Amino acid sequence: MREARPNLEQAHASFVYILLVLGAAASGEQWLGILVAVLGFLAINYFFQPPFDTLTVGEPSDLLALVAFLSTALVANTLLARARTEAERARKHAEEIETLSQEVRHAEALREASRLKDILMASVSHDLRTPLTAIRAIAQDIAADGSDATARAEIIVGQADRLGKMVADVLDLSRLKAGAFTMHAEVNTAEDLLGATVRQFSGVPDARRIETIIDYSQPALVGTFDFVQSLRVMTNLVDNALRCSHDAVTISVTQMNGSLSFQIADRGPGVLVTERDRIFDAFYRPVGPAADAGAAGLGLSIARQLAEAQGGSVRYSVRPGGGSIFTFELPSAMLEPEETSE
Amino acid sequence: MTSVAAEHYRLLVIEDEVDIRRAVGAALRDQHPAIIEASTGQAGVEAVDASHPDLVILDLGLPDLDGLAVCERIRAMTAAPIIVLTARHTESDTVALLNAGADDYITKPFSTQELAARVAAQLRRARVPHAEHEVIVADGLSIDVHRRQASRDGNVIRLTPIEWELLSVLVSDPGRVFTHQQLFAAVWKRAFGDARLYLRVHVTNLRRKIERNPADPRLIITEPGVGYRFISPP
Repeated sequence: MREARPNLEQAHASFVYILLVLGAAASGEQWLGILVAVLGFLAINYFFQPPFDTLTVGEPSDLLALVAFLSTALVANTLLARARTEAERARKHAEEIETLSQEVRHAEALREASRLKDILMASVSHDLRTPLTAIRAIAQDIAADGSDATARAEIIVGQADRLGKMVADVLDLSRLKAGAFTMHAEVNTAEDLLGATVRQFSGVPDARRIETIIDYSQPALVGTFDFVQSLRVMTNLVDNALRCSHDAVTISVTQMNGSLSFQIADRGPGVLVTERDRIFDAFYRPVGPAADAGAAGLGLSIARQLAEAQGGSVRYSVRPGGGSIFTFELPSAMLEPEETSE
Repeated sequence: MTSVAAEHYRLLVIEDEVDIRRAVGAALRDQHPAIIEASTGQAGVEAVDASHPDLVILDLGLPDLDGLAVCERIRAMTAAPIIVLTARHTESDTVALLNAGADDYITKPFSTQELAARVAAQLRRARVPHAEHEVIVADGLSIDVHRRQASRDGNVIRLTPIEWELLSVLVSDPGRVFTHQQLFAAVWKRAFGDARLYLRVHVTNLRRKIERNPADPRLIITEPGVGYRFISPP
């Protein structure tokens, strides 16, 4: 310090010390800034103010300079500390907002889950009770007199199947909602899926009304999809189509824009414009004459979710000439032709 | 077939739910009075050891042992057919059991007629040593195993080597479910490879050549998520 004295004005030294004070204040605690400021005050007094090497102040102007230095250092220190506090407060605030919005999102999800549960409970208690009531009444009848048991037992089987299907649908929907559904996407052919769909209806009298359109002059159409779940979608759409009319139901498959497009077309009454979106809602049942009393109204909702969970879709469109077309799209796959033609 | 004394067959049902055991028993007892029941995997394995059943019905979800472990232990003791009772969403477990030597599966809830039919088919399979037929005729399709030739109504069907291999593996054991993995291993003679992607394409191409209506196959049946089986329509 003493060596630097001849080349350094007191004012210059003060600047250097103020920088040190600011550095100390910026790097951490406010008390460190104050300590450095006081040390600077003493050092300037000791090294750079005559009489040198004492803490005595000679001139009143020197005292002013010292006080000015100390105040500048302290004010700067305070300002810095305040800025840091503000920044900290802002960060905490942002964190709180983030936490709150997470809670809001969570609450919304809970509300949605609870709403679904309410609908579910209402639907379950109503829809599941119907076949149960029938089963119980008929079984009781058989137990009482045993007459006509075969015919009555068949009704029980039918009602039990209906019940089983509903329970399966409700479980599937809750699995889908909970994201607990794992898809096994594999390379499959469209024809295999179509054939398996038709087979689901073997033994059903209605199966005679199913017509298939496949272009056999072209190589087999290939897609990447979960066979089991896609089969459920197809079966549901064909089942709906068969139930809504007494005419032929046409299933066709084409490939376009990277998708396999299965179309299930019927000559039924179609879907009202106002209901075209709602038919895909869970537990939605069409207004008017109940074509399907007893079903829980979950089929199309599950079908659409199963399709979307594997990158596909289910859409409704009006069939020219009357009726409905449900289009089930799945991602198509590209295989090297030399491998497949071997 | 019915002339064979059915009561000589001993059936073992391994199932923890007493109601399902009762239902299975009710479905089969008319045909097969000798039904042994076991409510745990361990008891089932011991029953196989003690009573040498001709057919085992094994529930996939037992409380004490993993279904796969039970299946493997039974298979190590006997060649008797094993039919697995499965539930929905358990295709991958079913495949594992079939790969471990189970012969067929039936998904709950099943119809009792369906179960009885599967049991009869498996007992028939076990009795008739397969691969003895030289010419198999099914739904107008005639398959000459030794001359490696398939024909329908006298017209020879041209098959690629892979299609022929697929067909001959499937018809070597009619009625048996082959998992995708088993078919791949049998046709390509290895366990893994890119060609696995093409298995289903080859099956589709084969169907186009041998089925009357490839969109409604009656000979090569798809077992969704599991594999394929060859059946001879009546």
